Amino acid sequence: MLNMFTLVLQIAVVLAVCRLVGTLFLKIHQPRVVGEMFAGIMLGPSLLGLIAPQVSAFVFPPSSLGFLNALSQIGVIVFMFLVGLGINPKELKSQGHAAVLTSHVSITAPFVLASFLAIYLYPRLSDDSVPFMSFALFMGAAMSITAFPVLARILTERDMLQSRLGTVAIACAAVDDVTGWCILAYIVLLIRSANTGNPIWLTVGGLIAFALIMIYGVQRLLRRFESIYHERSALSDNALALMLLLALVSALCTEWLGIHLLFGSFLMGAIMPKEQKFVRYVLDRFEPIVVTLLLPLFFAFTGLRTNIALVRGREMWMYCGVIILVATTGKLGGSMLASWWTGMPAREAAGLGTLMNTRGLMELVILNIGLDIKVISPALFSMMVLMALTTTFMTSPALEVICPDKMVRAGMEVATREELAVGQLGLNPAGD
Amino acid sequence: MTHSNRNFVLAYLMLVALPVLGLVGVLRSGRNLTAPISLGGQWKIQMDAGKLAALPCGKLLTTSQDPGFAISQSGKNFTVNVGNSLTPSSGEIDGTAVMARIMPSTGSAKDAGCGGEHVLSLTATVDPKANPRSLEGTLSVNDCPACVPVEFHAVRVDQVKSKGGH
Repeated sequence: MLNMFTLVLQIAVVLAVCRLVGTLFLKIHQPRVVGEMFAGIMLGPSLLGLIAPQVSAFVFPPSSLGFLNALSQIGVIVFMFLVGLGINPKELKSQGHAAVLTSHVSITAPFVLASFLAIYLYPRLSDDSVPFMSFALFMGAAMSITAFPVLARILTERDMLQSRLGTVAIACAAVDDVTGWCILAYIVLLIRSANTGNPIWLTVGGLIAFALIMIYGVQRLLRRFESIYHERSALSDNALALMLLLALVSALCTEWLGIHLLFGSFLMGAIMPKEQKFVRYVLDRFEPIVVTLLLPLFFAFTGLRTNIALVRGREMWMYCGVIILVATTGKLGGSMLASWWTGMPAREAAGLGTLMNTRGLMELVILNIGLDIKVISPALFSMMVLMALTTTFMTSPALEVICPDKMVRAGMEVATREELAVGQLGLNPAGD
Repeated sequence: MTHSNRNFVLAYLMLVALPVLGLVGVLRSGRNLTAPISLGGQWKIQMDAGKLAALPCGKLLTTSQDPGFAISQSGKNFTVNVGNSLTPSSGEIDGTAVMARIMPSTGSAKDAGCGGEHVLSLTATVDPKANPRSLEGTLSVNDCPACVPVEFHAVRVDQVKSKGGH
């Protein structure tokens, strides 16, 4: 039964701790969101449950977590809609072949390395209810993701959004996220159809039909939002509510079709009009409540599921270290190699690799799905959360060393298509 | 095809297509791998309540409203939760053999006449072919020669099903 006192207490505690830790992280030149992710872990069994089990049991009794989870999931659904909204596939097109290659290598390199790692980890951290293929594909998808929103925030804070490095990083991260989510949808589909006994072709057919309706039907209707915005320089509350309603309906459709709520809201965001001012306007309307209230609840819920004590003994910590190493080598190394190969100077290529290695919040969303569908075990979940925190935390300091502010200001001028495309390969941005 | 496009195709083949082929190979070779037997989930336990109550820590199990336990598994290691009076305890799977030590929580240990060296030991064998999966084994008390081990049979009640996501 819903205990309002407990729920409100939980929200208050989560908000207070997240704001406090987030502010402290700002002081050490980390984005607030990184601090909030750490705050979530601190509220779980890894810290609060360890040092004050009675307090933890009072504030977060296991029977009450369903409500906290429900609220946090609403937040993630809206957040995924906003992530989709912020992604513009045309950005990649404008960057030419070099960025296409970099983005694809930044997916395949960590993906392949993760699948090799899966051979080692599967007999040690999984069980026979999970097919190897699902396990390996999930590990690949989880390691190849880039946190598009955190990346955008880091670039904005460092005033790098308009630099060549920034524009390529944003374009590559957008492709990575879309690809990562498509792969994840496939894995969820595989696992759920195996468990429910529904034929996979039925779900795939339904999903293709749904995607076609969204892209060729609904997308046209969505343009109306943009034209109303341009006519009135604002959207009414009804229009914003309708937008939210459409995201929720789309989420329900994908859940009903057998994948996950989040895919639907992401897709609805992805097919929204991409005119910059319109996107900024919609983000400004929805972001405050999602970022300040609902996402901290998601961090807390993730923290409550993360038990670092499960990573016990030298052997388990070694697995965790190998996971972080493989994730970093694949993402940072793969992106760096591809961008350097296509003509980016080595230092800038290293900067791009560092940026692409940011996993942040998107990784936590994916890991929670993995734990829900039981494709990863609780110990592996905790290790992967540590990997997400480590790779996100290291981005800002590593970037400061590789591409210091003065270098960004002095040398990294605004990118042009030609600059990026003409490199060692002599690639033509137009593709001809 | 222009020089630049040829270069792009070459780079793409080397850095993207070849690794993807490698991935296909890994997925194929991994099919033969075996992982520890799955035990995760809720289990219902059947045993002689009278015999269990006679064990030093057994009362903690018999007073439970829901005679069962929950297992959270990570590879060959697992954590077992048995009611509120017992702390989550760790165990290990070796093939089809299962071993765990179930500890009483500090508060309830004295009331149940256990604690310290008296710890409940669970040893069982999994039937991997049974559907739903089942366990056959004994609950015994460490360092208590006079205590008679109690046999039990447990059946997993929530088979791995992922319907609702969150």
